[in-house]
Amino acid sequence: MKNSFDEKILEEANDWINANQKVALATVIQTWGSSPRQVGSRMIVNEKGDFSGSVSGGCVESAVVRECIDLIKKNKPYKKIEFKVSNESAWEVGLACGGEIAVYLEQIIEK
Amino acid sequence: MKYTQLKEIIKKKSSKTEFAIVTNLKNGLSEIYEPGKSLSKEFEIHKEQIDNFFKLKKNGVIEKKEIFIETYIRPIKVIIVGAVHIAQYLVDFAKSLNFEISIIDPRGYFASEQRFPDMKIINKWPDEAFKEIETNENCALIALTHDPKIDDPALQHALNKKFYYIGALGSKKTHENRCQRLKDAGFSSNQINSIHGPIGIKLGGRSAPEIALSIISQLVAETYKR
Repeated sequence: MKNSFDEKILEEANDWINANQKVALATVIQTWGSSPRQVGSRMIVNEKGDFSGSVSGGCVESAVVRECIDLIKKNKPYKKIEFKVSNESAWEVGLACGGEIAVYLEQIIEK
Repeated sequence: MKYTQLKEIIKKKSSKTEFAIVTNLKNGLSEIYEPGKSLSKEFEIHKEQIDNFFKLKKNGVIEKKEIFIETYIRPIKVIIVGAVHIAQYLVDFAKSLNFEISIIDPRGYFASEQRFPDMKIINKWPDEAFKEIETNENCALIALTHDPKIDDPALQHALNKKFYYIGALGSKKTHENRCQRLKDAGFSSNQINSIHGPIGIKLGGRSAPEIALSIISQLVAETYKR
């Protein structure tokens, strides 16, 4: 899947930054099996945990929000995380659909 | 990602320039790439694969390399003939489905700005209108007037230019007559059979938004079949 010129998630990130919020982007970079959102799907998260967009059908968003807040707090530039179907790993959330996804988190570095 | 880069991406998006964001997942470095232009040393060695993602209109990670490519490619052009009620709903659906719509209707009273706000309507006969739109096999045609004077020239254009989707509104009988006219005009039965007529997938609905939904569903299905 390619990305759409019309999707406004990055524009929204820009608005948040202009409102002096710290913003991290979370992008689906790989999927295996039946994952709900395609590669390139994206959500944005600020330091308070507000978010917009999606990386799954609601299965892993809460974990992504937590990871993004952590990224911003520790002032790390980027991080890659993977979600699998089971909850055996450190993740308490998983993909109920049986798919796996890799999500790349990156912080928008200050102006 | 640097804020300046985010701003540049937004600028490229608003000008509808085709581009890609390439990111090295190992070190967090990213860059904007436009087809035909050069890349920094960091990414230049992957140029061939990046161009390949463009060709396939796809996002993804280069196999065995930690390089993520996100492509922004111009949407598929969908030409609607007939600024009718159904077209109003098609425009709404198309907005969230990444299609770029043009509407042709020589009848001024249909093609009014009030009925289609923020939408460029070409108030000309199809033969004239198509001089303003560059078309190729990546285009789709939705003919909605079921008036041979208006639909037929557009269908002929779409067949000649090998549009990947051609659909025409009208009953089975209307479509039979249409097929006969196209046959008389010299089109092969293969060409004629490629037209989706009656248009749309069977949903059972009869209202304008329901018909629009059935048409756009068929268009999406055909788009993924390619």
